[in-house]
Amino acid sequence: MRAPEKNARPTEELDEDADVVATKAWDWAVLRRLMRYARPHLRMFGSSFAVLIALFGVQLCGPWILHNAIDGPVTRALEASEAVDDGSVDVQPFLRELGFWAAGYLGLILVGALLRYKEVSQLARTGQFVIHDLRSHLFAHIERLELAFFDENPTGSLVTRVAGDIENLNELFTSGLVVLLFDLVKVLVVLGLLFWVSPELALLVALLTPVLIGVSIVFRGGARRAHRRVRAQLARLNGYLQEVLSGMRVVQIFRREERVSSRFGERLRAYLKSNFRTIFLFALFYPIISWVTLVIQASILWRGGGALYAGTLTFGDFILFWFWLQLFVAPIRELGERYNVLQSAFASAERIFDILDKQPAIAPPARPTPLPDPFRGHVRFENVTFRYGDGEPVVRNVDFEIPPKKTVALVGATGAGKSTLVSLLLRYYDPSEGRVTIDGVDLRETTLASYRRGLGVVLQEDFLFTGSVRDNLVLGRDWVSDGSLVQALKASAAGEFVERLEHGLETEVAERGATLSTGERELVAIARALAGNPRLVILDEATSSVDSATEARIEAATHRLLQERSALVVAHRLSTVRRADRILVMHRGELRESGTHEELLNHGGIYARLHAMQFRDLDGKDDPTG
Amino acid sequence: MACIPVVTLCDIRITLWFGDALTRLQAREGPEFLEQLVGLILLIAAVQGIFRFLQRWWIVGVSRRFEIELKQELFDKLCGLPLDFHDKSRSGDIVSRLTADVENVRMLLGPGSMYVLSALVFVPGSLFVLWRISPVVTLAMALPLLGVALAMGFLTPRLHSRSTAVQESLAEISHRALESFSGARVVKGYGLERHESRRFEDASRQNREAQIHFSKARGLMHAAIHLAYDLAFLPVLFVGGWAMIDRSIAVGDLFKFIDLGFKVFWPVIALGWIGGLYPRALASAERIQALLSETSHIQDPPDPVPLDAEGIEGELSLSNVSYRYPGAPGPAVEGVHARVPAKSVLGIVGPTGSGKTTLLNLLGRLCDPNGEVRLDGIPPRQLSLATLRGALAYVPQDSFLFSDTYRANIEFGAEEELTDERLAEFIQAAEMTAETAQFRGGLDQLIGERGVTLSGGQRQRSCIARALARDPKVLILDDALSAVDTETEAQLLQNLRRAGEGRTVVIAAHRLGTVKDADQIIALKNGRVDAQGTHEELLERSDWYRETWDRQRMQKELEDL
Ligand SMILES: Nc1ncnc2c1ncn2[C@@H]1O[C@H](COP(=O)(O)OP(=O)(O)OP(=O)(O)O)[C@@H](O)[C@H]1O
Ligand SMILES: Nc1ncnc2c1ncn2[C@@H]1O[C@H](COP(=O)(O)OP(=O)(O)OP(=O)(O)O)[C@@H](O)[C@H]1O
Ligand SMILES: [Mg+2]
Repeated sequence: MRAPEKNARPTEELDEDADVVATKAWDWAVLRRLMRYARPHLRMFGSSFAVLIALFGVQLCGPWILHNAIDGPVTRALEASEAVDDGSVDVQPFLRELGFWAAGYLGLILVGALLRYKEVSQLARTGQFVIHDLRSHLFAHIERLELAFFDENPTGSLVTRVAGDIENLNELFTSGLVVLLFDLVKVLVVLGLLFWVSPELALLVALLTPVLIGVSIVFRGGARRAHRRVRAQLARLNGYLQEVLSGMRVVQIFRREERVSSRFGERLRAYLKSNFRTIFLFALFYPIISWVTLVIQASILWRGGGALYAGTLTFGDFILFWFWLQLFVAPIRELGERYNVLQSAFASAERIFDILDKQPAIAPPARPTPLPDPFRGHVRFENVTFRYGDGEPVVRNVDFEIPPKKTVALVGATGAGKSTLVSLLLRYYDPSEGRVTIDGVDLRETTLASYRRGLGVVLQEDFLFTGSVRDNLVLGRDWVSDGSLVQALKASAAGEFVERLEHGLETEVAERGATLSTGERELVAIARALAGNPRLVILDEATSSVDSATEARIEAATHRLLQERSALVVAHRLSTVRRADRILVMHRGELRESGTHEELLNHGGIYARLHAMQFRDLDGKDDPTG
Repeated sequence: MACIPVVTLCDIRITLWFGDALTRLQAREGPEFLEQLVGLILLIAAVQGIFRFLQRWWIVGVSRRFEIELKQELFDKLCGLPLDFHDKSRSGDIVSRLTADVENVRMLLGPGSMYVLSALVFVPGSLFVLWRISPVVTLAMALPLLGVALAMGFLTPRLHSRSTAVQESLAEISHRALESFSGARVVKGYGLERHESRRFEDASRQNREAQIHFSKARGLMHAAIHLAYDLAFLPVLFVGGWAMIDRSIAVGDLFKFIDLGFKVFWPVIALGWIGGLYPRALASAERIQALLSETSHIQDPPDPVPLDAEGIEGELSLSNVSYRYPGAPGPAVEGVHARVPAKSVLGIVGPTGSGKTTLLNLLGRLCDPNGEVRLDGIPPRQLSLATLRGALAYVPQDSFLFSDTYRANIEFGAEEELTDERLAEFIQAAEMTAETAQFRGGLDQLIGERGVTLSGGQRQRSCIARALARDPKVLILDDALSAVDTETEAQLLQNLRRAGEGRTVVIAAHRLGTVKDADQIIALKNGRVDAQGTHEELLERSDWYRETWDRQRMQKELEDL
């Protein structure tokens, strides 16, 4: 068995290597890019920073008040009572002074509470603004990417990026970035203060801190890789979930619930396994950090105890030092948690930038030739060859034209390449060789917007959105008027069934139009294509699931509408293409025959054979030739 | 579990050692004892570290296990829910429940419970120790902690409702994205990229506002908890200072108050963090619960006849079958009677939207109708789903394939792995041999999401191959030849006729040529049976049938002119 060569390779099939080499980028690169999204909101970041600074001040003041109370009134009271042997000292003034400090402390913590409130709400606000920008930007970018990108990337995994990964980044902005930067400031300031209280003890702290930082650095590498794997597994998991959801009918009727469930289980376990790697790392990380912290504290007791004994340090100083030491160690200790958040967020950021780095393969040139609105609709395929990816050509040397206001039909065996030609005409893909022109302009030379605006398309697998029937017909095109809607509904025969719906045009349609029958969905799609008053109509198997009476009516009505427009019609049922100005016959990717219905019948080639086949059953004869 | 008290008690013990050391220093005991004490502390701390590792490893591990179990349970639940549920729910919303909501609950159960448990040991433990030093100070210190409880009680409802709004806006984001990406062809074909981006931006903005709104309530909670905590130090400062002046407590004792206060800080702050987490988790749990408590009315009967799919002959009988989609104004199928003898062919025809697909769905019990559909005379309340669906194979109207290898898609139908010869046979019957030979990866070629790398007709034929691979007693084809050209169609029909021998075949179609040789044909009209009989009988009995037949013939004659 040959190893599968992957044409449409789901990017989430992660082999471990691809995973590890994903980016060598050092955190700073990712961070700098993220900062770009923060720039428009610098003022908000500024005020977040101000809140944090004020809060920091409050945090520093608390211990200082305690220190002053102990070394001030308390110590003096103790000294005074020691001086007077019988201990009958008037403690009132000392108590009053103590009360003064206590009142100060009370005021301080009230301010602190206000700042705490601000801390949460302001940081969240800042983060949310950045996140919203980034998310909208990412979505808009994905929308601009070419169709092949959507073919290759499972929808579920793309959704995970704009939902899960972005949500994950949120943490970075709300509890990561600003706080992290600020922690750095905090550590430095507090270290300075520690030196001020007791240089000897502070030196000890300064000597031991690098151990703490070293531990963090060792863990960083591992954590990052582990997180990257977790994020990728999660996307895969969601992709599978989404796929099963959309194929639930098939799953149930084939009674494959257990099979899909066990495959989902496999993916879950793979996800769990990657998770355990991060859990293990961090389970190890925290105790080590705690222990090192305790080493620092113990050595402070050891050296500080000596100093207390020797009387070179007051108890107030010791307690102040102790308090501030906590302030110093806390950010470093939390560095672990922040790292966890940060690494997970970086993994997400990489996945997001990975997409943002993809340039749309199908984009207008630097100086596009805009099409006039409306354009005439003269289409030419000039010697077009096309291959998907680097496969065999699916379409070879195709050469034809659709003159303005003419209808050209495309017939041929299944898999012959008809839909591919449609895709090329829609510029879902660019031809590998040759070119497609509209009114003499290469599609690659013009802007997609000016071109697609003039199109009315029914795809072989069309798609309805959740929302009302009207939304689906209008599709946000502001030039679709009620008049053209009515006309389109009539021509597509969708009018009758829409009338039968309980709320008419306002009836809500479920995802993918699941609450309509397949034929009804096709009718809506046809109406949608006609509603925009298109210059060029493209119908790919538009009536394949419609009964023949309705089909005949649509055919008659659209025939009239198509007089005014250029059209490319793909159909297997020859009755629908009979009236086309020109019929092209595709065979294995090549154009084999071309002419009107009569000409082709007389020619006695593929078309004549297809035609004969179609009506064999109706005649009861086995091999009639027309 | 036992790790948590060990870790916490070690923490308290260490503080006490530190405090006692200070008291001894104050009593001017020599500093020599310090070295020994420091050694002891480090040793105990190392042991504590091991427990701390175990604690984290265990609790977070359990929460992750819980996460996957919950996800698996939700997934299985979804697989068991009937189609009317799936038709009306948005997959973006469901995906969001399985991700964002499960994550919220996990956070509460994992890290959340870890902090709560350690707070439960730590707070009383510390208070007890401190009580023995100075009941007054301890009491004064503990009072503000009660404030925390009050604040939480007061703020939780608000947090809850706001976080529900956040979760819903997240679901909307997933939904928008999912829909826009899966409809990429239409979005691009109509140049709707901007339109979609704008709609997405709206959803995202809504989420932003909901998040900000939520953060305000969270901020209040945060402030209240910190305030309570800071207040606890006020008595330490004032009463403690007073007591020191009184010489009723030593400096080391004051230190114990401060340091334990500090350590109580973590669990209490964590409680505050959980105070924010809890309503979120609650809102999420409700959304999850709502999904879990969806019931499927399509259940295995309590005591089915013991019969497996092998023993089924394939006779179908429908008596007075009606079905109305939930929320639809009228029934989609009404009063259908039919008996389809085993190994015969039933054709179903009718205009667009007349109820053909609905009727076929009822055969496989994808929905439960009024009236009764019996297989081999066994009513549904005695027939297990395994037997029923095991005997059926179905070619859906919209050809759905999985983003897997081609082989896996065909084998999806079969009960066991297929030999290459068997596989080739089914592919041949579906007229896909020539095309699969072109695949670069052979049968192990990956075919993309929903089979995007295949043409429409290729997808449809692959679905036929998948159904044949099931070797079913009853073969159901829903307009299964609509996307192939006439030549392939004729060939396929011939193959199907051969494959259909020895099976009951139910075939819905628009082209009457497809069903004309059926033993029996039902012509539906607006969900009711318009006429029923053989081809010849229907030509007599149904105007619609006759007209359609004539039209399809006439077209031929017209074209032959
Ligand atoms: N995205 C894709 N990637 C790779 N191959 C593809 C892709 N889409 C189509 N193909 C292949 O290109 C060939 C032509 O497909 P196309 O959809 O153009 O056929 P078609 O004539 O429209 O057939 P049908 O009548 O069945 O719809 C097929 O063999 C198909 O497998
Ligand atoms: N999930 C659903 N919820 C509500 N109404 C539905 C649902 N599915 C179908 N309907 C409605 O029920 C009616 C019958 O639909 P059904 O799909 O059975 O038609 P059909 O005969 O198969 O049509 P077609 O020829 O287009 O495939 C239609 O009017 C349709 O709008
Ligand atoms: Mg149908």
